[in-house]
Amino acid sequence: MADSANFSIIGKRMAMTDARAKVTGLGKYADDLAVAGMLYGRFLHSPHAHARIVSVDTWRAEALRGVKAVVTGKDAPNPYGILPIGHDECVFALDKARYIGDNIAAVAATSAEIAEEALDLIRVEYEPLPAWFEPEKSMQAADHWIHETKPHNIEKEYHHVFGDPEKGFSQAAFVAEQRYYAGEVNHAAMEPHATLAIWEPEGKLVVYSSTQVPFYLHRTVAEVCEMPMSHIRIIKPLIGSGFGGKSEVIPIEVAACVLAKKAKLPVKMLYTREEVFYAHRGRPITIVDLKMGITREGKISAVQARVVQDGGAYCGYGPVTVLYSGALLGAIYDISNVRYDGYRVLTNKPACGAMRGHGTVNVRFAFEAMLDELAHQAGLDPAEVRRRNLLKAPCITANGLRVTSYGLPECIERVVERSGWREKRGKLPFGKGIGIACSHYVSGAANPIIRSNMPHTTVNIKIDRDAGVTVYTGASEIGQGSDTVQVQIVAEVLGVKTGRINLVAADTELTPIDLGSYSSRVTFMAGNACLEAAKNMRAQILAAVAKEFACPADDLDARDETIFRKSDPQKRVTFDEAVVMAINFHGALFAMGTYAPPEQARGGKFKGAGVGPSPSYSYSAQVAEVTVDPETGHVRVDRIVAAHDCGRALNPLTVEGQIEGSVYMGFGQAVQEEMVWENGRLMNPSLLEYRTPTTIENPEIECIIVESHDPEGPFGAKEAGEGSLAATIPAIANAIYDAVGVRINTLPLTPDRILAALREEQKKAGGNGAGANGGRR
Amino acid sequence: MTMAAFSVARPGSVEEALRLLADHGPGAMIIAGGTDVVPNLQMKLFSPRVLVDLKPLRQLSKISFSKRDGLTIGAMTTLSHLLESTAVREQFPVLASAVGTIAGPLQRNMGTIGGNLCLETRCRWYNQSYLWRKALGGCLKKDGDVCHVAPGGKFCWAAWSGDSAPALLALDAEIEIAGPKGARRIPLKDFYKNDGKDRIALGLGELLTAVHVPARMAGRRGVYHKLRIRDSIDYPLAGVAVTMDVDRAGVCRDARVAITAVNPAPLLIPQAGDWLEGRKASPELIARVARAAIQTGKPLTTSALTPVYRREMVHLHTRRALEEAWQGRNGHSN
Amino acid sequence: MNKVLLRLRVNGEDREIAVAPNRVLLDALREDLGLTGSKRGCDDSSCGCCAVLIDGVPMLACVALAASYQECEITTVEGLAAPGELDPVQEGFAECGGAQCGFCTPGFLIATKALLARHPNPTREEIRGALSSNLCRCTGYMQIYESICYAVEKMRAKTPAAAR
Repeated sequence: MADSANFSIIGKRMAMTDARAKVTGLGKYADDLAVAGMLYGRFLHSPHAHARIVSVDTWRAEALRGVKAVVTGKDAPNPYGILPIGHDECVFALDKARYIGDNIAAVAATSAEIAEEALDLIRVEYEPLPAWFEPEKSMQAADHWIHETKPHNIEKEYHHVFGDPEKGFSQAAFVAEQRYYAGEVNHAAMEPHATLAIWEPEGKLVVYSSTQVPFYLHRTVAEVCEMPMSHIRIIKPLIGSGFGGKSEVIPIEVAACVLAKKAKLPVKMLYTREEVFYAHRGRPITIVDLKMGITREGKISAVQARVVQDGGAYCGYGPVTVLYSGALLGAIYDISNVRYDGYRVLTNKPACGAMRGHGTVNVRFAFEAMLDELAHQAGLDPAEVRRRNLLKAPCITANGLRVTSYGLPECIERVVERSGWREKRGKLPFGKGIGIACSHYVSGAANPIIRSNMPHTTVNIKIDRDAGVTVYTGASEIGQGSDTVQVQIVAEVLGVKTGRINLVAADTELTPIDLGSYSSRVTFMAGNACLEAAKNMRAQILAAVAKEFACPADDLDARDETIFRKSDPQKRVTFDEAVVMAINFHGALFAMGTYAPPEQARGGKFKGAGVGPSPSYSYSAQVAEVTVDPETGHVRVDRIVAAHDCGRALNPLTVEGQIEGSVYMGFGQAVQEEMVWENGRLMNPSLLEYRTPTTIENPEIECIIVESHDPEGPFGAKEAGEGSLAATIPAIANAIYDAVGVRINTLPLTPDRILAALREEQKKAGGNGAGANGGRR
Repeated sequence: MTMAAFSVARPGSVEEALRLLADHGPGAMIIAGGTDVVPNLQMKLFSPRVLVDLKPLRQLSKISFSKRDGLTIGAMTTLSHLLESTAVREQFPVLASAVGTIAGPLQRNMGTIGGNLCLETRCRWYNQSYLWRKALGGCLKKDGDVCHVAPGGKFCWAAWSGDSAPALLALDAEIEIAGPKGARRIPLKDFYKNDGKDRIALGLGELLTAVHVPARMAGRRGVYHKLRIRDSIDYPLAGVAVTMDVDRAGVCRDARVAITAVNPAPLLIPQAGDWLEGRKASPELIARVARAAIQTGKPLTTSALTPVYRREMVHLHTRRALEEAWQGRNGHSN
Repeated sequence: MNKVLLRLRVNGEDREIAVAPNRVLLDALREDLGLTGSKRGCDDSSCGCCAVLIDGVPMLACVALAASYQECEITTVEGLAAPGELDPVQEGFAECGGAQCGFCTPGFLIATKALLARHPNPTREEIRGALSSNLCRCTGYMQIYESICYAVEKMRAKTPAAAR
């Protein structure tokens, strides 16, 4: 293997291996698949936010010509959930409907029109119950709890204290205390969820589904359909991205299977965009009561956060989200004294879950905005305050997180340089502003959702006499470049062109288990498994060549499709020849690699300590520049400079794509995206009214890759796909303050909120009402 | 989302279209570009038996302009074609700038000026799927008897949410309507009824065929301001169109101000012309017109952003648009 | 309701299908003609995933009633280049990261193709404007712009200097 300066594939910009399939339109996503005799499935949803289901009468629907199966809660009563502690949902509500849009029944028919007609023929008798929509009210509920087993509608609460927060605050020269509120946002992946479930005559199910986690879907279908896992095959086709929205088992996936099993026919289901919002699992409404103290020198002396998350009607990933919110107060800055109180609350709305930057984003917004405020109070440069709170890696944080590589200092330096921070900060004309913020994220969770000693990823490689290299991996390509990075790693180690590698991915019948594409784990974990498998394969090939050359194996290297002697590079064989030698020597070539996070990476022992630990953390620093119209409150984000420490950029093209995509998504949440509720009713369940950014208002994004070479990452790599999102929001909020002198603690930072804050500021300043020119200047 | 069954009729002439409309009565519905009608059909807001598709009527997609006769735009002219017209861009900048803000380029390739003038009114309690509305129990405009915007009221406040109409009102446009009793030509301002439920004065069996802008409006300064959240795709949350004729001394000879998206109709500010005519720009005068605009504009909770904010933006954008028009600037701004 | 016999020229081939009058062009292409490249991302004509060229003009197939486009010439993403080949625009999106998950890509390719037909060397503002009916949730648009610049260069290299 080449040394780091001399890679032939790693670190090179490489088009994604499936790019051709995507640009020709020939690649198949779940809804592009069809089989003969396929039925169309449709859902019946609850019109009530909270209601006892008295009866469900389906005979009229069943009698409609063309209807092949109608299923209700009785057909699939086994509860499930992504967390072992949260098996609280059934694919169809059994006893109660818990939100408007909850699933009551489904129909499979010979056409979508007939299925929809049949839905209108199902009679459901409901007994409406008082419903809970506001998390802080829901926590006070004395009765009519959403789940009887969860008193006062509290799904989970955690209380952590590290160090001595009281003492820390007493040492602070400046203390700020604020309430922050972040609205609810949705992944809005362009592909609505779709599933094709094919019932095989042998009594088996083949399921093509838009999932980030085929392994968890596999388990859940087995549990709900009461079939052995060995009779179920989950295949992940192309996925129109996920961002976490496909990282839990989504009702459509199970419903299609239940219908197919009952009809004994293939069934395809596709969500409407509205249904995607009911399936949701996005970022929850989050209330953050934050208190922070800094010393006169700008050192953070204590942090106290109380976080309430509006989780919706089911558990989902909820406890993990609220734990991340607390745990990731750590591992970015050096903070010894932390108090965290986190509450995950149930309400009668669609369940929230994991979304890009899971758990950290809203708290990071609050934290970085408050740090900016404290820096101003202390009369310090906000970039300098961040520098004064850096960790000294390697280290273990107060809450037990192990930091192995730490590119944050360089990220800050690079964005300060590139953005012209020193020249611009505090010097731009009124209405123009510049802001800085940082963020970080895990490279996969060190502890699996379902506790076991199983490796988090296993990768197999097979080479036969054709010298084609087939990699079998469970990792799920969802648009982030997972397939490509695995191909690159294997090709680099074996010294072959990437075109020689055939990747078979995410098919439970063919590929070994991988936990899925979530928590930014694929490059680090599947990457390490690929690395190990490829090294094992390489060792077999080199051993055979060494025998042939009668030289030690460590005198051999593989590169550019040849195996050669390092001491005599003219002594060489082609990869094809080497494979033949190896097969003659070993038989068909097979190698395996696995990855499990090391024991030291798995965190502390306190309750909730399992969430937050990661084998490695990524870092981001960003500077945003904005123009605020002080008369309308409208914000234009002119430019964002983002530096991200991804350890090593195995493929700079896709790393940049991930960073830019994260910044864009942060921008959307910062200024314009929000799910709007009226008494549990989602008012904007469409891409017309849920406003993801268009090309016009989206900022110019400049991307800087920082490489800290993690000691345990594959070739030093760590995550790139999520860590940059969280910094974007506070960078924009801080730039707005720099522009017009107001701090908005509520997301999104809409023009009406900004204008109201400007007015308020004027009033405080005893403004004379002559134009909105209050603020700091 | 599926649509209920209907048939599509494709008339070859206006006469044939009128015959089809007459034959099918209330069961017929006109479709032009489809960008408004098709989503509404998918939401099951209408249940026509026959869609009368005007796309084959090529004769209705012409633009003509002369200094003598003014501008005539066939109702089936797509918004993109309209934007490409040199005459429209150079002589009627307020129209070009307003049309340029409609949805996005692909929607403008399909949508027509006639369709944009006949848009359905919009409300967040109304523009929802069948599933959503059924869970709600309907609203005053469709399948129910409760207005969720003004509970207790019996009037539908769904907002007129078109961009071209205010510009054309500010250009004193007329429209041509073909019907069973022949063609008629009416001022555009008389077309809008300011009733969310019954928005336009298009009788049963009638068809909008053309828009006329009088010759005297050629070369008229014009500005359109649109409040929206995204800079593309979005419908207006408020909009102001201003046209003005200013002499060399800076005296306003003629002016019109129209607002959109804050009432069930696009509306001219009635007093604006009288107040502005014969006057030079002054902050007091402009403020007076802006105040009149918010006396006319009555935004309610029909869309995103708060009514208070939208009202304030009507005021602000009226002021800004007047200032810009007086200074001789053309174009649009968000 | 009776089906309509629809004659279309799709990606250069004459096709005839019977469609219900309430069928949108997107479903006719995807389900009746097996051209699944055009995608459905929304239900209210606001995402651009379904864009196709109709007589050379980019439009949204999800709100186009199939029966309204009798005798029209349709180009979908599958028809942008001969089988096995890539149009420079496709090549750009593949090489420069313009396609991440790829779901919005067909719509962006169609909108870009139409843009470059009119403006072979577009400015950043023209690109932003022409693509502003298309939503992408992955890229933050930056690599889409780079992809288009790549295609512009590629096309310029192909055009003989005299023709420029």
